[in-house]
Amino acid sequence: MTFRNTTGSWGALSKALHWLIVLLIINQWIIAERAEALTGFAKLKALGYHKSFGMTILMLAIIRLVWRWMNPVPDLRAETKPWERLLAKISHVLLYGLIFAMPITGWLMSSAKTYSVSWFNLFAFPNLVGKNDGVYHLTHDLHELLFAALVIVAALHIAGALKHHFIDKNDVLKRMLPFGGVK
Amino acid sequence: MTNYLAALTAVAALGAAACSAAEPPAQAPPVAAPAANAAGVSHYVQAAAGSQLNFSFMQAGAENQGEFKQFVTELGYEKENLAASSLQVTVQTGSFDTQDKDRNDTLAGADLLDPKKFPTARFTANSFAKGAKGIEAVGKLTLHGVTRDLKLPLDIKTTATGAVISGETVIKRLDYGVGQGDWKTTEWVGDEVKLQYKVALTRAAK
Repeated sequence: MTFRNTTGSWGALSKALHWLIVLLIINQWIIAERAEALTGFAKLKALGYHKSFGMTILMLAIIRLVWRWMNPVPDLRAETKPWERLLAKISHVLLYGLIFAMPITGWLMSSAKTYSVSWFNLFAFPNLVGKNDGVYHLTHDLHELLFAALVIVAALHIAGALKHHFIDKNDVLKRMLPFGGVK
Repeated sequence: MTNYLAALTAVAALGAAACSAAEPPAQAPPVAAPAANAAGVSHYVQAAAGSQLNFSFMQAGAENQGEFKQFVTELGYEKENLAASSLQVTVQTGSFDTQDKDRNDTLAGADLLDPKKFPTARFTANSFAKGAKGIEAVGKLTLHGVTRDLKLPLDIKTTATGAVISGETVIKRLDYGVGQGDWKTTEWVGDEVKLQYKVALTRAAK
């Protein structure tokens, strides 16, 4: 496994970013679900972590996009049908869009509710908007709606990967697995 | 007999004198202000508008801001007689707003400001002094039932009809017990609370 991507497989950094973001998103979902039932100090703490991890995802997403531009993107196998290519393209664009849109809507809603976003209490990010109840409610709803969209697109993404592996029997899944090499 | 009565009257008179003599020292602190007044300290009371008392603190790494909307200020001031100058500020602790209902409700809870139990906070200074950064009101702040010494820096601008005092200082909330239970930790909500004040006053007859 190389550090950079090749036309045949993903490099170490691309894989690390992919799986780190996956784990962070699952973690975000668990924290958010738990925070719903909390109040006072416990809620402040839970949402403090949620926002810090969210900004981490945003920063990783930026690195990931830049890295993608700096590297070759491994090809789909030659036998991949046009509709599969299109579906893969759409789902990848949506996934990239969502890993930006989720943190940004979260950042907006925190700003609009005057609960500034910080990174693990070390430093604060600037507020994107001033206090604004309308923006808060809109971005709050959008944040939830986009998460539902993320779950659906991620399910499609996983289904595609599994189809490549079990039905098409190619290495599309294996080349993104953390320790999966490509023959 | 007459001697005895005279003696009794004398004793009674002495007693009365002793009582009246004992009274002024007991009243000494309140009497000090009018006495100073005579020495030329002007009296000011808070104007109907133009005053603000803001506070800010760090929460989860970011600054949070709020203000107290109801407070009453009285100032006795003379530039040449700082020792006799005085300041009293009484704040309705329940009148604060931090721009968010959730945060207001939390801050008004029994573990934090608790305005139900401690409806007022008061700063009282009976003398001013020249500090490193200018004039300071040397007094005591009673907040959340705890009284501590506090020197309040004041920038004082007087006109013929009034005065504006302003300044800022930092107090530590835990010094006053604001933060019980989970809130005792300063990891999520900082100990330091910055107070910024600007009070418009009008000159009063008193």
